[in-house]
Amino acid sequence: MPQKTTQRSSRAKNGRAKTRAKANPTLAVDLDPANRPGVPMETAPKPLAGARVPIAHQHAEVPVFKHAGRKEMPPVFGTAQPPKGLSGLLRKAAYAKPDHKPGHWMLLLLADRVDVWEHRLRRSLPWAAPSAAAFLAGGLMWRARSA
Amino acid sequence: MRALTYQGPYRVQVEEKPDPRIEHPQDVVLKVTRAAICGSDLHLLHGLVPDTRVGCTFGHEFTGVVEEVGKEVSQLKKGDRVVVPFNISCGTCFYCQRGLTGNCENSNPGSDVASGVYGYSHTTGGFDGGQAEYVRVPFADVGPMKIPDDMDDESVLFLSDILPTGYQAAEMGEIKGGETVVVFGAGPVGLFAMKSAWLMGAGRVVAVDHVPYRLEFARKFANVETVNFKEVGDIVLHLKELFEGRGPDVCIDAVGMEAEGSRAHRVLGLGLKLEAGAPTVIEWCINTVRKGGNVSIIGVYGPPWNFVPIGTAMNKGLTLRMNQANTRRYMPHLLEHIQKGRIDAKGVITHRFPLEQAPDAYHLFAQKRDGCVKCVLMPHGHA
Ligand SMILES: NC(=O)c1ccc[n+]([C@@H]2O[C@H](COP(=O)([O-])OP(=O)(O)OC[C@H]3O[C@@H](n4cnc5c(N)ncnc54)[C@H](O)[C@@H]3O)[C@@H](O)[C@H]2O)c1
Ligand SMILES: [Zn+2]
Ligand SMILES: [Zn+2]
Repeated sequence: MPQKTTQRSSRAKNGRAKTRAKANPTLAVDLDPANRPGVPMETAPKPLAGARVPIAHQHAEVPVFKHAGRKEMPPVFGTAQPPKGLSGLLRKAAYAKPDHKPGHWMLLLLADRVDVWEHRLRRSLPWAAPSAAAFLAGGLMWRARSA
Repeated sequence: MRALTYQGPYRVQVEEKPDPRIEHPQDVVLKVTRAAICGSDLHLLHGLVPDTRVGCTFGHEFTGVVEEVGKEVSQLKKGDRVVVPFNISCGTCFYCQRGLTGNCENSNPGSDVASGVYGYSHTTGGFDGGQAEYVRVPFADVGPMKIPDDMDDESVLFLSDILPTGYQAAEMGEIKGGETVVVFGAGPVGLFAMKSAWLMGAGRVVAVDHVPYRLEFARKFANVETVNFKEVGDIVLHLKELFEGRGPDVCIDAVGMEAEGSRAHRVLGLGLKLEAGAPTVIEWCINTVRKGGNVSIIGVYGPPWNFVPIGTAMNKGLTLRMNQANTRRYMPHLLEHIQKGRIDAKGVITHRFPLEQAPDAYHLFAQKRDGCVKCVLMPHGHA
């Protein structure tokens, strides 16, 4: 149930901060910023250990989109779930816009919904087509009889 | 192989799909031993990340054994056990060279917003993820870290993401010793942010969430005070009062785009998609932190925009810091913390499942049921 907290000296659950801090044996081992791997966040430029140049260019056997704000394909990319059908066309239109345009993102969200419907349709076709045909045939027979 | 696949909002299943293969000479293929489910995966599950295609395999937090090695890979060989950072980073581009591996420009054709990420839609490069029996790992000499022989996979699994992420969140808070810190979100990322705030010398750490068992977990695991925002009237006023009427020195957003707490943002962001998710916690951070204070945003938000009180931040003289985690650079340092017993990384694991039960794991984690803090999948059993 909602409860109003008292003012000033109010403490959150779990007691007083000072005692908590003292009870904590790992307190402040990284107090010195020199012990923090991300300080400063941006370092002087230097290749990372293990890095290799030049980076060979990956070849795609399936269509892979790059957004229009980017000049070239990066050397490495994913090739999962290549674009297909109507959702694929929508995605193509989305990537024709650079990624700072809201339209790029809105079209992608639309394509995602269409993709789901396309998959549902494709999945239901094996039984949907025969049952629709049977329904149609049944309807025709009924009409013929009652005529 | 068997893999988890996305089937549309709120629906995932495990199915057969082709094994991954070497597609670039710097690739390896890993046999996945552990793959965790992350709060970020929930944004995908709920259909909030643009260009999440049906069939996509999620999973960006994993360990594995090297199965196949590309021609140009020199540091890894078949049989090596590795933990892999979630960002796919080349190690040589403008950003990687400056330590910003989370911003690598050589692994994502789809957007300049982020680097390539495993199993995180085509907006981050169109790579399949690790919630599967096998996974392709590009730039294998740069990202993956070998697991020390005397350590099991689960002890280091979270070096792949949530531990460095939580650490970076605290680091971006610029704690110099004695600061008061409020961490929004008592999920795995928030928990490690709390731990890290203590490591950096915070004077007082308060966790905010609305799930009672998670607050309870935070009290035990991270030794923090807690506030349930559903049990106090106005959370901003409540927190300001806790800190002498001014608010804390540092606020950390470890919640991201699916925050509870504001009907308006949920309707606008999650319902109507007029903004990219619910930025409720950014708003709370900006309003709660003291003037001149520091807001660190590690919760994920997407493009193109959100309604956030930037004018308030300007007038209060705040420092706002944020980024994807630059995971790789934190791994050796945090490995040492784990080895020295300063952080019990695998202590956040509450549930383990075989891969076949991944959909159940997703729903358990998404609905915050059964005391779930972190779920780990075991695609090849307990080995
Ligand atoms: N920047 C990065 O590199 C990076 C990496 C990993 C995760 N993340 C992001 O961090 C966030 C948290 O991840 P997680 O795995 O801990 O997720 P999680 O879903 O387990 O935890 C989120 C917690 O926030 C709580 N919450 C919801 N609304 C809240 C509010 N208004 N105030 C306070 N708490 C609230 C939820 O109850 C939950 O306990 C996600 O957005 C995730 O995408 C970012
Ligand atoms: Zn993650
Ligand atoms: Zn790079």
